[in-house]
Amino acid sequence: MTRSSAIRDAMLKRVTELAVLLFAITTLLFFLLRLGGDPAMIMAGDEADPEVVALIRARYGLDQPLIVQYLRYLGAMLTLDFGESLRASRSALGLVLERLWSTLLLALLALLITAVLSIPLGAWLGYRPDSGDRKAVNAVVFVLQGIPGYIAGLLLIQLFVVELRWLTSIGNQGISSWILPSLTLASFLVPKMVRVISANVSEAMREDYIRTARATGASGPELLLRHALPNALLGATALIGTQFAFLMSGSLITEVIFAWPGFGALLVASVTRLDFPVVQAAVFVIAVLVFLVNAGTDILFNLIDPRLRRQTT
Amino acid sequence: MSDTTTSSRLSLLPRLRLWRSGLRGDAMLFAGLAMVGVLAVLALTVGLNPPREATTGNLRMRFRPPGTEGYLFGTDQLGRSVAGRVGAGMIWSLGIALVAATIALSIGTVLGLVAAWTPGWPRRVIRTVVDTVIAFPSLVIAVTVIALLGRGFWPLAITLGLATWPIAARVVYAEAMSIARRDYVVAAQLAGVGPVTILATHVLPALRPTLMTMFAFTFADMLVAESALSFLGLGVPITAPSWGNMLSESREYLVEAPWLMLAPAGAIVFAVVALNLIGDGIAANARKRGRAAM
Repeated sequence: MTRSSAIRDAMLKRVTELAVLLFAITTLLFFLLRLGGDPAMIMAGDEADPEVVALIRARYGLDQPLIVQYLRYLGAMLTLDFGESLRASRSALGLVLERLWSTLLLALLALLITAVLSIPLGAWLGYRPDSGDRKAVNAVVFVLQGIPGYIAGLLLIQLFVVELRWLTSIGNQGISSWILPSLTLASFLVPKMVRVISANVSEAMREDYIRTARATGASGPELLLRHALPNALLGATALIGTQFAFLMSGSLITEVIFAWPGFGALLVASVTRLDFPVVQAAVFVIAVLVFLVNAGTDILFNLIDPRLRRQTT
Repeated sequence: MSDTTTSSRLSLLPRLRLWRSGLRGDAMLFAGLAMVGVLAVLALTVGLNPPREATTGNLRMRFRPPGTEGYLFGTDQLGRSVAGRVGAGMIWSLGIALVAATIALSIGTVLGLVAAWTPGWPRRVIRTVVDTVIAFPSLVIAVTVIALLGRGFWPLAITLGLATWPIAARVVYAEAMSIARRDYVVAAQLAGVGPVTILATHVLPALRPTLMTMFAFTFADMLVAESALSFLGLGVPITAPSWGNMLSESREYLVEAPWLMLAPAGAIVFAVVALNLIGDGIAANARKRGRAAM
């Protein structure tokens, strides 16, 4: 099997997964909505006029048999038509896409902070894991790992906004207001990445090629930076795909805490207000985004990892 | 869950051989069990039978700082005992996490073993479902489902369990596949021992440390997820004193009463660290035994 066909197969598998996922999620949402009660009643509110309810029912086609409604719904989904927001009378997809950049900005900043913090720390910890000072740092990392990301966010607010009054914590008001939300989002990932990188480094340091390099007279830092770390980082970067999904979960709650204008906060607000077109559009966009990141890392891996290159020829 | 090099390195498991903290397994296990013991005793005493100060407010005693006579962690905006409420919240927070972790691990173990033991379409179907669900942010699904099904102990516990089982299934599948390739299992197969007997006598015992580690980690994850959902207003009923609800309420009083946030936050961190200690302790011990056996 050649490399390009391997990539094509991997992509095909991913696209199938995306299709299954989108189908499953839209179906789940459709039936849950009907399980949770009459959607027309939900939209109209509890004390609505029966005539209004009938009107809504006719307008959204809710008077049709369930199977007809479902097929129509699937059809609309295929053309990316999620309908209008029930609150803002605007295209639901438009509302979500408008906020895409804020969410992506936060995610990218968080990834950057994660890399800057966890690569040096992980490398240092993994280089000689049994030494005394590293054990102490490991114990600290262990406790930090027990602090859920959003609680870290609350603690950061308490310290930098309430006590020290250095920073603001509401919305996007320029670069200084980016610091706390992106630190919070990064704190969802940093302890895990430190652990993975230090484990990978310490594993790599026991490999044969390190022994060979050492025998040929390579110095300690050289062993770490030229031989062990690149391997460890390769493994850690592979996690970005899966971690991105986790990051999206984290951005949901981070955006709520900091009133950040991204689609995570929009999703939570829409869920609470039962604004289903927006919920569906947001879930759809998140699924596609996660898919793109996963597919991207897969391709990247096939291109940069020499071991995979050899294996697939 | 696929066997290709790329995807197997993508798995994010608490892999047993992963982390060498230098900390001793027994020490971690002991500390973790002691901490969980404290939580269990408190849950069974204060949690099941919260003091009157936790439920009934006293407006003359609002916002008393920690250490006030009779109020270890101070009082909240209604003059209720914060310590009492953290205690009463254990039933919600720890209870939901326990049920959710049990559901996730039960389904995950069964389907992981089915996938490992039945080549052909059951394996393909399970793996596709697992790969698909794992790639999706579970909080997004949970938020939506809770909004539709309503708040409460059981909706939350079941939703979290159902959103999490694929991770357990992936771990069990990968471990079971590697156990199945071990010499003693292959020898048993060649000797004509039936698959069910092999599963019961060889595979399940070998899986035990993995399952126990995973249970501890999943329990911790579910605790965090429950409190996060309650924090977003999509978890337990608003009046319930769950830790996430307390955190959510505390945000309005960060300036005048930071202890309203610090007490439940401390409780969550204490529980998560305890469970992580147990999980890592078991993993470290299993690793040590594995190396000694070699």
